[in-house]
Amino acid sequence: MTSMSSIVLAASEHADVVPVAADGVFSWMWLLVAIPAVSAAILLIGDGAGDHGPLDRFGHLLGTAAAIASFVVGVVGFVALLGQDVAERAVTQDLWTWMQVGGFDVTMSVYYDQLSALFVLLITGVGSLIHVYSIGYMAHDPRKRRFFGFLNLFIAAMLVLVLAGDYLVLFLGWEGVGLASYLLIGFWQEKRSAAVAAKKAFIVNRVGDLGLALGIMLMFAQFGTTNIHEVGLNVTNASQSVATALGLLLLLGACGKSAQVPLQSWLLDAMEGPTPVSALIHAATMVTAGVYLVVRSAAIYDLSEVARTAVVIVGCVTLLFGAWIGCAKDDIKKALAGSTMSQIGYMMLAAGLGPAGYAFAIFHLITHGFFKANMFLGAGSVMHGMNDDVDMRHYGALRKLMPLTFITFAMGYLAIIGFPGFSGFFSKDRIIESAFATNFWAGLAALLGAGVTAFYMTRVMILTFFGERRWREDVHPHESPKIMTVPLIVLAALSVVGGALTFSDWIEDWLTPVTGSEHHELGVPAWVITLIIVAVVAVGASLAYVLFARRDVPDTAPQQVSVFTRAGRADLYGDAVNEAVFMRPGQYLTRSLVYVDGTGIDGAVTGTAELVGDGARGLRRLQTGFVRTYAAEIFGGALVLVLALLAVNLA
Amino acid sequence: MTAFWLLAPIMVVAALGVVLSRKAVHSALCLAVVMISLAMMYAMQDAPFLFAVQIIVYTGAIMMLFLFVLMLVGVDKTDSLVETIKGQRLVAIVLGLLFGGVLVTVVAQAFVGPVVGLGEANADGNVHGLAKLLFNRYVFAFEATSALLITAVLGAMVLAHRERLEPRRTQRDLALERMQRYAEHGEHPGNLPTPGVYARHNAVDVPALLPDGSTSEISTSKTLRDRGVVRDGAFAGDVSVTMRRLEADGPERGRVEPPPSTPARHDGEEDL
Amino acid sequence: MSAVSVQAIVGAAPSPIEAPDVDYATISPLLIILGAAVLGVLVEAFVPRAYRFVTQIAVAVVGVVAAFVATVVVGAGLDTVDGEVTGRGGPTAMGSLSVDGPAVVTWAMLLFFGLLGVLLFAERRLDGGLSAFTSQASTPPGSADERHATRLRIEHSEVFPLAMFALGGMMFFASANDLLGMFVALEVLSLPLYLMCGLARRRRLLSQEAAMKYFLLGAFSSAFFLYGIAMVYGYAGSFGLAEISTAVSSQIGGQNLLLAGMALILVGLLFKVAAVPFHAWTPDVYQGAPTPVTAFMAAGTKAAAFVAMLRIFFVAFGGARWDWAPAVWAIAIITMLFGAIASIAQTDVKRMLAYSSIAHAGFLLVGMAGLTSGDGVTSVSAVLFYLVAYGAAAIGAFAVVTLVRDAGGETTHLGRWAGLGKESPVLAVAFTIFLLSFAGIPLTGGFISKWSVFAAAWDGGAWPLVVVGVVASALALFFYIRVVVLLFFAPPQGDGPTVAVPSPLTWSVVAITVAVTIVLGVLPGPLLDLVQQAGAFVR
Repeated sequence: MTSMSSIVLAASEHADVVPVAADGVFSWMWLLVAIPAVSAAILLIGDGAGDHGPLDRFGHLLGTAAAIASFVVGVVGFVALLGQDVAERAVTQDLWTWMQVGGFDVTMSVYYDQLSALFVLLITGVGSLIHVYSIGYMAHDPRKRRFFGFLNLFIAAMLVLVLAGDYLVLFLGWEGVGLASYLLIGFWQEKRSAAVAAKKAFIVNRVGDLGLALGIMLMFAQFGTTNIHEVGLNVTNASQSVATALGLLLLLGACGKSAQVPLQSWLLDAMEGPTPVSALIHAATMVTAGVYLVVRSAAIYDLSEVARTAVVIVGCVTLLFGAWIGCAKDDIKKALAGSTMSQIGYMMLAAGLGPAGYAFAIFHLITHGFFKANMFLGAGSVMHGMNDDVDMRHYGALRKLMPLTFITFAMGYLAIIGFPGFSGFFSKDRIIESAFATNFWAGLAALLGAGVTAFYMTRVMILTFFGERRWREDVHPHESPKIMTVPLIVLAALSVVGGALTFSDWIEDWLTPVTGSEHHELGVPAWVITLIIVAVVAVGASLAYVLFARRDVPDTAPQQVSVFTRAGRADLYGDAVNEAVFMRPGQYLTRSLVYVDGTGIDGAVTGTAELVGDGARGLRRLQTGFVRTYAAEIFGGALVLVLALLAVNLA
Repeated sequence: MTAFWLLAPIMVVAALGVVLSRKAVHSALCLAVVMISLAMMYAMQDAPFLFAVQIIVYTGAIMMLFLFVLMLVGVDKTDSLVETIKGQRLVAIVLGLLFGGVLVTVVAQAFVGPVVGLGEANADGNVHGLAKLLFNRYVFAFEATSALLITAVLGAMVLAHRERLEPRRTQRDLALERMQRYAEHGEHPGNLPTPGVYARHNAVDVPALLPDGSTSEISTSKTLRDRGVVRDGAFAGDVSVTMRRLEADGPERGRVEPPPSTPARHDGEEDL
Repeated sequence: MSAVSVQAIVGAAPSPIEAPDVDYATISPLLIILGAAVLGVLVEAFVPRAYRFVTQIAVAVVGVVAAFVATVVVGAGLDTVDGEVTGRGGPTAMGSLSVDGPAVVTWAMLLFFGLLGVLLFAERRLDGGLSAFTSQASTPPGSADERHATRLRIEHSEVFPLAMFALGGMMFFASANDLLGMFVALEVLSLPLYLMCGLARRRRLLSQEAAMKYFLLGAFSSAFFLYGIAMVYGYAGSFGLAEISTAVSSQIGGQNLLLAGMALILVGLLFKVAAVPFHAWTPDVYQGAPTPVTAFMAAGTKAAAFVAMLRIFFVAFGGARWDWAPAVWAIAIITMLFGAIASIAQTDVKRMLAYSSIAHAGFLLVGMAGLTSGDGVTSVSAVLFYLVAYGAAAIGAFAVVTLVRDAGGETTHLGRWAGLGKESPVLAVAFTIFLLSFAGIPLTGGFISKWSVFAAAWDGGAWPLVVVGVVASALALFFYIRVVVLLFFAPPQGDGPTVAVPSPLTWSVVAITVAVTIVLGVLPGPLLDLVQQAGAFVR
């Protein structure tokens, strides 16, 4: 990373934004959170459980209406923000003081600026579409009301996350989306795999949260504040090592939430959740929260080259890692999940490039939100028609029977591989260019990733929509109802035109006050890079065509495959590593503690409950038996304590 | 200090005896030794009031209560000393030795100087000085102790007192009940035979003899029967022994001696 | 007996003893509670059985409320003392009590817990019109006499005066200004608790076993405490905390005596707060004791013992801080991790709450390692806040435990709680809120309290403790969420749990504790201000 060390960043560029107090429209921004939150509360607490009250019949409509209402507020706010002066586009509104101790206070505030505004539109917009789609997808689920309650809860928490003006409040939203994600992955908890996946997501995310929590504490310890804006101001006076530590801790948090290596393992399993959930949470919005965190903390990353380098490395590794997994999976949702991981790797990579890349990270995040949500919903539509079969080897030749799904999916496909003119083309192109401009190796990784992306997405496309029919006997594919296809059409349209955001550098200019900007000159003209990218993509796609369209697709996955495929199928042994490094020792620890507790301490009493029936004999044994063990423990503890204190004196 | 070094080993040995004795009575007696030694230590340190109180209250009253309770429970009752937890004894002994060693070291290292302030504290007499502390500086703690005592009394009541749940039964009720039982189950309505009647001894553990020379089981207390300490009260053995003696002794006739061996428990069968 | 002492006994004309000078108004809350306890004993003796239970409730409630009012009045009238650190109030009752800011806040807190406890004690609608306490403790469990007593609807209303004695002892413990008073207070608070633990109506053998264990181990640990006091007296020549403090900072020599004394005193206190390795009694006793007693004990004992511990170690041993701090650090770390990990394996709700209580003792010890004075959150204020938040949530959680029942009384096996969300959503949500507060999730009191102890520790330079604390919280969170999932999503076993319909007494306890837990999470400002203004201990 030699070329990066030469960059000395002007960190103060975006720290001099002065937030203005909210008035007019902006004083109503809290409604963004309040509407879905209230709706979630109504849906989840609501009337008694299980009865068929009005909430069970109309609850999903209420949930959808709440998401749409929130979207409307978001649009109004965005339009109003467009009308503001550039200098006044960061608006803050204090709602109430959460806690105040000595010099420390945390205010519950809404911080609405250019970055938040884009996120709000993405979350509520895509969120609303997915709510609409879910009306069709979950039509026959008996616990529909709860599903919509969780979705609303997620929207509210995600909005808290992006509207937070304080890291502690951001953490609140962060935990909120984690909870919603956990609840939704495990929504069909009667499936053991779903319950396990939910638990896994939760635990892996805890590791990331630990990083974020420690980061926040470090901020508090260093600067005495956790306000994002003030931390940004203070960090410029802090030492290099503090900024690096902060950057790495926040990166750990981001890795957890955004499924980046080494905390990637939960995302593939998270596909056990209902497909709209995969689309909304595990593709379009929540998993991008890590990218948001890095961009939001731009002030910190600007000061630490080490931290930025770490972000770049994580991004590069993940984008190749995810792509590799995407190539090997036969489960359509897992293939898409691998792709999601990979695309977020792109965003991380861009975010790690510093001011040169922040805007592109966000740009790719938005276009990815469109096309990936589109493709997930398309996959959901396919599954809907195929009796919830997820194995692509059982699909084939669906383009005739599901024309709308096919066309919309194709739009998403063209966008993700970066077909010229589609949104992904612009956003990915920008990232690869900036990567090359900053560091050759990062650029090369990104370029390679683009080729692999084209390969595995073409594979998905061919296996699903082209070739022979390989359906099971009782499957009668059919197009999904309108309520599901309309959101698909809207998202497909956005996947096509999303690239327009970058015309005349609009999104870069728009985000400059938040992220700063910087332009690195390339050694070669930009169009050369573009051509190379298109060529690599074409190679990847053709390779897939040759491999999968020209040959018969076996009905079960072949076992005699290369090491690479096997590794990909096993998620590159991520679980095995986790198991060996973390889970087993942890289990031994708990087991040994439980063993000590169980035999020495506890066995007596777990026994007691059963022994009560046996009467006095058992009881007497316990009374004379175990108090003396306790007493010996206390005695030993006292001895150690006395010796410890005396040792302090001797030392 | 001489008195201390004389008393201290006695106290330690006695204290170990409290913990290690097999019989509760021995423990209690060892405890009495500890308390008396303690009282002497008080006396040695010019605290005659405490000395008196220690003797009167602890050794006199409390120890006697202990002993009463032990007598009621049964003097010869010993606890089962089988240790069921592996390593518990070893751990306890090792910990005890280490702990004792550490504390002895610590206290031994402490600065020991001449006693100061004793005269001042006892200036108006020991009792007066004590009263001054109890009713002035530590009056609140002293008063709070009463809460402790009330709690203790209340606790004893709660745990041990069984309230009369129905009116006391009169003689008449009892007699009626007895006759009722006789009518229904044929249970003997009168008194049970008293122990020792016609038997060799009239002690409570010797059953009465029936007219045919056999013993009456029900004449002794059930508790004694269960414990297996009922003795054989038959004359048969004694008569034969006496007769033998009379024959053998000749000149000293008329003198009855006890049988050569005290009849042991449960060995009466062949004598019958 | 030497000649000197003989002369002393018969000595002439001793000077008169002055009457102690006690400011009764300042210590009135304590006197009111102890008075209510004594009055309760008289009620037990003289009021006919039919009215006894109700009269006892009335005496206890009136006593607690009156004492609370008195506490507020006393607290408002405390003079500010300016020294190195700002404090309020000071020693009274001949120096036996220190009625300072923290003491008054603790009194108010304990009285609040006491009121909630009395309300739970008074609940009689859950078990066929009878309280949670056994009909006659003297009858053997399962005997005909016991059934007879139950049939006659006899109850032990002595629990109310006992609770008042325990409450008085706790208040004394938190404000005692010398080690002698502390020891007496420790016994006054413990003895009634030992007793009450053994009085459960259901599963009496378990309850009696718990009481026995608690009593034996409690006596064992008080012996350590007493031994420690003796050693410290030997070192400093006084029981008074102020005099000990002077000796600690000025005296040279005999250091080992002081260190051993501190360690032994610490043993006694750590036993009461249930810190590892002195925690072994906690699960057994919490499980065996009647649940209302467990609730009262979990909140009250921990609060009183922690405040007393802070008082001893900050006031008397403050000068030797660097001698005891490493040990406290180590115990805090072990306790947090042990409590968090061991709770994962529990299958009984009450045992789980007991292990959670152990883990919370660890977090509170983290607070103890914090700043003693300064601008930010001090140890004392952080710990006080934590105790309020934890105590409220603990009482609420145990109140919920009293409501989930089957034919044999409370059903505490976690498996039997599956599907509570369907059976009684309100109760399940309440329990969830308590668990989230234990876990330290934002918007609950538990979050702010964890945050405040961590902040205090961080400011005090104890950052390793904070790191371990965060790790332990994350571990514990996993477990609590597992329980929440069980409540709402797991299929019920058999017919699922039955939720008894309680009287307004228990409902109000649940409602109040939920409200406190949420309010402390959303608007912690007023209480944080209060504990900040309470200032430091005054000796």
